[in-house]
Amino acid sequence: MTNSPVIVTRDLTKLYGSLAAVHGLNLSVGPHRITAFLGQNGAGKSTTIKMLLGMVRPTCGEGTVLGKRITDAEENCEMRCKVACVAENKPLYGYMTVEQTLRFASSFYPDWRTDVARSLLSEYKLPPQRKVKALSKGMRTKLALLLAFARRPELLILDEPSEGLDPVGIEHLLQMLVAQAAEGVAIFFSSHQIAEVERVADHVCILNNGRLLVDASLDQLRQSYRRIDLVFASAPPEREFRIAGVEKLQTKGHQLSVFASRNAEAVIERARDLDAVSVEVAPVGLREIFLESVKEN
Amino acid sequence: MLWYKAWLETRARFLTCLATLTIFCAVFVGHAQGMIHPEWKSDYNRLLFITQQFIVIMWILAVVLLGMGGIVREKAIGISSLTLSLPVSRARILGIRVGMGILEAIVLGVVPWSTIFLVSSLAKMPIVISQVGFYVLLLLGGGLAYFAMAVLVSCLIEGEYTAPAVAFGLVLLAAIIFDAWLRPFNLWRLVTGDFYIDRHTYLLSGHFPWLGTLASMSAAALMLLASVSVIQRREF
Repeated sequence: MTNSPVIVTRDLTKLYGSLAAVHGLNLSVGPHRITAFLGQNGAGKSTTIKMLLGMVRPTCGEGTVLGKRITDAEENCEMRCKVACVAENKPLYGYMTVEQTLRFASSFYPDWRTDVARSLLSEYKLPPQRKVKALSKGMRTKLALLLAFARRPELLILDEPSEGLDPVGIEHLLQMLVAQAAEGVAIFFSSHQIAEVERVADHVCILNNGRLLVDASLDQLRQSYRRIDLVFASAPPEREFRIAGVEKLQTKGHQLSVFASRNAEAVIERARDLDAVSVEVAPVGLREIFLESVKEN
Repeated sequence: MLWYKAWLETRARFLTCLATLTIFCAVFVGHAQGMIHPEWKSDYNRLLFITQQFIVIMWILAVVLLGMGGIVREKAIGISSLTLSLPVSRARILGIRVGMGILEAIVLGVVPWSTIFLVSSLAKMPIVISQVGFYVLLLLGGGLAYFAMAVLVSCLIEGEYTAPAVAFGLVLLAAIIFDAWLRPFNLWRLVTGDFYIDRHTYLLSGHFPWLGTLASMSAAALMLLASVSVIQRREF
């Protein structure tokens, strides 16, 4: 396995008329790690994944997945042999039974692991003879995940993988993701469940209105993002805190709340210089980082 | 396994159409035989000619239904991502669907006429095998253009019900337009044998219309190539 990025995009753009679903996306997803792809509904996550898999043509820009160009039909086809994918809404053929679905999927991939498929089938309690259209939403999600986990791909792309799963299913999914990453599989997954992301992701990308707002490791985000609550004797000098790294300022009476993506030390120092009555620094969770990032934009 | 998928996808439609066509032919021919005396050979041939008209109608309905489906329909019901994430080219996916459709269309043409042949032989009203062959070849050689048209429509139109509605509309429109203004090129009359029937004996006569069949098959091939081009360019 190489250390080159598994996904690279350069100015990847998709326009639908005048609407930019994805705008100038520059992404580099590293190997052997779990990368979370966050964004609100309509942020462009699914469009990006569809472009990576060759389902949607980029309006401009380029990209590679496992070194294969996404816009070249032949290279994209070769790449799909090494990529396992669980798409949004967990598409499955309703007219097939669970067993037929497994047999069908296994025939396309040389990396299919029958033993893993069998063990997951019994773990997920999926009835082999039942038609897919008769499965519950949760069972369909489990079957879609099984199809991906029963392989040994180089890259696993998951679009909202926990959708429809109960807490036990979600727990199992997270464990599977960590286990796959430990085996050297690169994982790129989109999710709205920030708590899940925070538990397993190594790297986080936040997309908003088709633009990449955040692209950093989770540790880096935890270290650099801070909320600093300041209290002044009089009205807070808000303007003094408009410095590099400060994403948001909120004044309420004599209180000033500073949301900083970096440079927290400079903010604290300035607060002390300006005789702040109280300075409280708190680390910021991913949820808050996400909300502030998308709200700001 | 794509063949298997294509079979699972179409088997209900195919088996229903096959059963309907076969039962219709057996009942129609068997029932009509009771009203015809053995010496009225030309009446029996006429009956077979009429049967071919009904077979053609039902066969066209069947192949248009078999031509429906594929990735565009899958998109309409939200499952195209699964097919498109397989390490297989779109052209191959379409090619296998077309291959399965053609095989099913051939069976739908051969089985009803084989049934007629058997029923007639059992009722001591044997038909010349060359007549059966003529009817089947006309049906398949000329009629595959209808299947190809259905495939093209299914690649262009997304709606689950819109595509078959448009395809049936086009079949009807083509029949009306060609019959009114371009009668010598009317595919319907080629497929039913109307151009080649002897109105006295009600037997298909003359040489097999290779040129007409070739033209129809070329049109079918062009429509299938256009379908491949459409499906390769399409976004999902």
